[in-house]
Amino acid sequence: MSIHTLYVNRADDPEAAALRRRLRAGGHSRLKGLTIERVYRLEGEVDPQALWPLFVNPVFETGGAASALESADGPIIEIGYQRAVTDPETPSILDGACALGVVNLEWARLGHRYQFRGIAATEARRIAEEELYNPVVQEIIPPDRVWDSLRPTGTPEPVRRISLARLDDAGLSRASEENSWYAPLCQMQTLRDYERERGRPFTDAEVEIVVQSWSDHCYHTTWKSLGLFKKLMDATRQVNHPRVVSVFKDNAGGMLLTDDWVVTIKGETHNFPSAIATFGGVATKHGGVIRDTLGFGKGGFPIGGSTLMGTMDPRLPEEDVPPGALHPGHIVRESVRATAYYCNPMGIPMMYPVYRAHPGYPKCLALGHSLGLIPREHALKDPPQPGDAVLLLGGRTGRDGLHGATASSAGMTGETARKEAAAVQIGHPIIERKFMEAIPRLRDAGCLRALTDLGAGGISCAAGEMGERTGVALDLDRVPLKDQSLSAWEILLSESQERMLAAIPPERLDEAREILRRHDVEATIIGHFTDTRRYQAAWRGEPVVDLEMSFLWGCCPIEVAEIRAPTRNEVVGWLGSWVVPGSRRTRANHLTTQLPNHPTTQLALARQVLAHYHCCDQSPAGFQFDSTVQGRTVIGPYGGKTGRMPTHAFVAAPIRGERVGVASTVAYNPFYGDVDPAGLARLALVEAVSRAVAVGADPEAITLCDNFYTPKATPEVNWALAQMVETIADLSVRLGMPFISGKDSSSGTFRSSDGRTVDVPPTFVVATMARVPDVARVVTKELKRPGNRLVLLGRLDPERLGGSVYLDLQGERGTLLHDFGQEWAAGLKQTWARLHALTQQEENPVRAAAAIGEGGLFARLFEMAYGGGLGARVDLDALGPGPLEGRLFAEAVGTFLVEVEAAADPEALFAGLEYRVIGEVTAEPALEIGGERVALAELEAVWEAPFREVAGA
Amino acid sequence: MPDRKSQIRNRKSTIAVLYAPGINCHEETAFAIDHAGGRGEVVALFDLLEGRRCLEDYAGLVIPGGFSYGDHLAAGRVLAVHLIARLSEALRAFVAAGRPVLGICNGDQVLMETGLLPNGTVGERAGALTQNRSARFESRWVRLRVQETGSFWTEGLEGSLLRVPVAHGEGRVVHTADARVTPAFLYVDADGEPTEAYPDNPAGSPGGVAGVVDPSGLVLGMMPHPERALLPAHGSTDGLALFRNLVCYGD
Repeated sequence: MSIHTLYVNRADDPEAAALRRRLRAGGHSRLKGLTIERVYRLEGEVDPQALWPLFVNPVFETGGAASALESADGPIIEIGYQRAVTDPETPSILDGACALGVVNLEWARLGHRYQFRGIAATEARRIAEEELYNPVVQEIIPPDRVWDSLRPTGTPEPVRRISLARLDDAGLSRASEENSWYAPLCQMQTLRDYERERGRPFTDAEVEIVVQSWSDHCYHTTWKSLGLFKKLMDATRQVNHPRVVSVFKDNAGGMLLTDDWVVTIKGETHNFPSAIATFGGVATKHGGVIRDTLGFGKGGFPIGGSTLMGTMDPRLPEEDVPPGALHPGHIVRESVRATAYYCNPMGIPMMYPVYRAHPGYPKCLALGHSLGLIPREHALKDPPQPGDAVLLLGGRTGRDGLHGATASSAGMTGETARKEAAAVQIGHPIIERKFMEAIPRLRDAGCLRALTDLGAGGISCAAGEMGERTGVALDLDRVPLKDQSLSAWEILLSESQERMLAAIPPERLDEAREILRRHDVEATIIGHFTDTRRYQAAWRGEPVVDLEMSFLWGCCPIEVAEIRAPTRNEVVGWLGSWVVPGSRRTRANHLTTQLPNHPTTQLALARQVLAHYHCCDQSPAGFQFDSTVQGRTVIGPYGGKTGRMPTHAFVAAPIRGERVGVASTVAYNPFYGDVDPAGLARLALVEAVSRAVAVGADPEAITLCDNFYTPKATPEVNWALAQMVETIADLSVRLGMPFISGKDSSSGTFRSSDGRTVDVPPTFVVATMARVPDVARVVTKELKRPGNRLVLLGRLDPERLGGSVYLDLQGERGTLLHDFGQEWAAGLKQTWARLHALTQQEENPVRAAAAIGEGGLFARLFEMAYGGGLGARVDLDALGPGPLEGRLFAEAVGTFLVEVEAAADPEALFAGLEYRVIGEVTAEPALEIGGERVALAELEAVWEAPFREVAGA
Repeated sequence: MPDRKSQIRNRKSTIAVLYAPGINCHEETAFAIDHAGGRGEVVALFDLLEGRRCLEDYAGLVIPGGFSYGDHLAAGRVLAVHLIARLSEALRAFVAAGRPVLGICNGDQVLMETGLLPNGTVGERAGALTQNRSARFESRWVRLRVQETGSFWTEGLEGSLLRVPVAHGEGRVVHTADARVTPAFLYVDADGEPTEAYPDNPAGSPGGVAGVVDPSGLVLGMMPHPERALLPAHGSTDGLALFRNLVCYGD
């Protein structure tokens, strides 16, 4: 078989230039030049000239049978996919060739040749290994490789029999560790007893299925043992909200938006993969949570997405990064690249990109949300019936992501980072985009009985869950592979991305396949649902799995969890996570060193507040994510006159031609949990809701999504978790706002290779999904007209600086959050109701509104003025007594800064509520506070610098 | 049920919005046509290739934004290969019959890769949209100045300023020396002057070129998204005029 090679070069290549800049900034300062050459290898009796239109546009590309790179100019390294793996571009190449009438093209591969100028071959090699490829699926192609064929080849391992029957506890623990099962001893004992009862050893596939299904990631053993799920679900049941249609059971939660349409929300973390291989981890974080929307009911359509990243400070000196952890700057930059790589092709608008830092995040937080839309009639699944086909659709199955569920449930060490690199999946958004288009067609044509996404545990978990009440029989030889060397257990466990599993009634199969064909979605029947209540699978003619569903889903032992309240350590926070090298450590809420209580000093500090990582302009990341696709966006992540003012909210009009809207907001603060986990939980909820109400969401139609990230379970961690969950369960009942979806990860512990342990701070994120009655009445945040009044609506206690950005700048956390306990709910409800009622008036006197949070009143004042291209004058006395820094920087969550029409009487608007008129809007773009003036342009420069530096933009 | 003849008659005034794998702006683009008073219909590439739909039954063609075929090999390349290899006669006949073609974002990239832009020569390429100077995807609101083109596309809009979003990674126009490039829109700065400076010109496109028409004036390609600046709720309705021009064309 003949193999042709075609080398393609681009005249001017910003990608190569950007990579060179990135490498130089990353320490390869001698790198003088970088060229990227594409190399296509084509197998078959073809004339490469006939394929020219596909590979070369002569306007900016040149192609030839010989490389244009001279080896004397510098070392050349070629990166390509491994022999056993199919290139993601191969189907497109074969497809394009076919269109051009070239039918003899048998296979194609694409490689990238990098030529480095100014550095030695060893340094080039190191760059390639560290930056340019994923060793799970790619490799460095040796220059002298002889290609006999390009097609993927490989031989799978045979099925292994595993006997646990004679092992003692030590032997069981060892087996668990040696096989990377990460199963606790009690689960291993249950498995052993099951084997003794059955009288035959397990196959490798059987053990793998069981430990995956029982992992904390899939089974939430920590939460179940603490009874936390039940608490939240009981609270939601008690709220009994008339708009809620689906809670906790499905892949996402649903709320009625109109009589005919349901909106859905889901948030999911993907922390472990993102911490060890950020690009792949973050890309598949998005892919996974989007599939949760697609797999809601009989198939939802995603209409919004988010990205939230919590890392250590990305500007940390290299030597302060715990050994074995990736540098946080690298994590942030790679995550931005991955979010753009995945979300933009999906065509789903970005709702809120959020980047936060905390010293406890060597194992980072990587959270994504997905908002969806589905007709009410399709919002609930039907149970699969015996005889229904198990249809696997989307991407092919490969080696990526093995052991993802169990590995992510375990702690992370410098060692796991290497050992479990295979746990990171590779994402290809084009595949997912194609079935995102096809699934609503399948749904509307009545082809789907049920549908779920393949995530943690791959086919093994999805088929097991869907077939729990019936039974399922799989034929693994039918699963289309992109890696020919996969054995049976690997096929079952693979977490290859972009796959869904559907239950299709036999009489709808033909129609389903035709719809999928027309959408270019590969789909294969890999088995059927049975009435055996057994989980069965065969491979190469022999049974490899035969388990009772009752064992798989009914016998997972849950250890009783111990709870113990720790004593708060003022130096390291509740859980030892807050350790700032070299910081002043104090018990005082205020600073040890009292700063002069004078506006001049405070304005100098204000600049630092705006330059804090949490308050600075994060648009250099956010502008890389499409926020207007789908034509539904009313308020995107940024707004105002320059388009750079953070809005802290997303509003869309999801139903074309109608004015009803959906708002979504998020609150994520990694500092509050160091002060008080219960306070963190309360503030996150109140802040997220306040942000939604500020833009015009109806407080009577707000639903909530929770995400927890805590260290590996200890009695103290369990206490913090219980504190958080009890607080929000009770608060959600008091407020009448139900939690309808959520996810927890109890694996936030990092052990560095020098033996130190770093725990994440208690992390709790709330996202809202709320109804906006009329998108024409949304309230935007930028100031509108000089002369209008500025009103602070809600409480402001200048003594409560705990957990603030302001104290963080001094290396302190403080002791008092701006938090007023559960009784606070009544007052908040009143404020929210009044603000909402005003925004729904024909002539809304509230011209702009923002919820106070990080950076306090001052940060909002700056953003609102900057957004409007106007200024503001604030009377310090009107802010009441108390320390000046508290008046300006206390993070008065639940309080609003609003701009009110000059002609309106504040007393008439806000009677009965706590409010104060604090100043007015001015024409000149400057802030005047207590007689001190500062130009916005000066503040803007301070505010926009830090993230540019981080993002390398 | 209307019979097939009347269906085709209806389509004669219907504008086809092309869907191909990876396209992701077809819904809102069809809606924009409806909103401008016309009738938009999403037409799948496979239906054209397999004969279930015919290009000649439509009054106009819009290739919307997205990442067709994953933008593998180059932006818009694989979809363009499908069009020139299997629909070039239909495309030529479509434009020869005086029917308008619009490419938005990925659609613009596709039209460049087919050769329909800038020279109006299907199968002979004279231009391309290459990677942004920043090497990043850019999602921003931009200001455009509408140029005199003599084409119906810009009729009544010449000299006006439009505020619309862009969202692309490859929007930098390159072309051969003898290409006939007729700019329809230029990126302008806060003073309304054409600019090559980032970020007012997010792609770093030479001369500020954000969109071009072909020599016949029937084919328009633009990187910005007029369908995302359609309703008051979008914050700008500046994109509507283009769809009005499309819908009214030939009346």
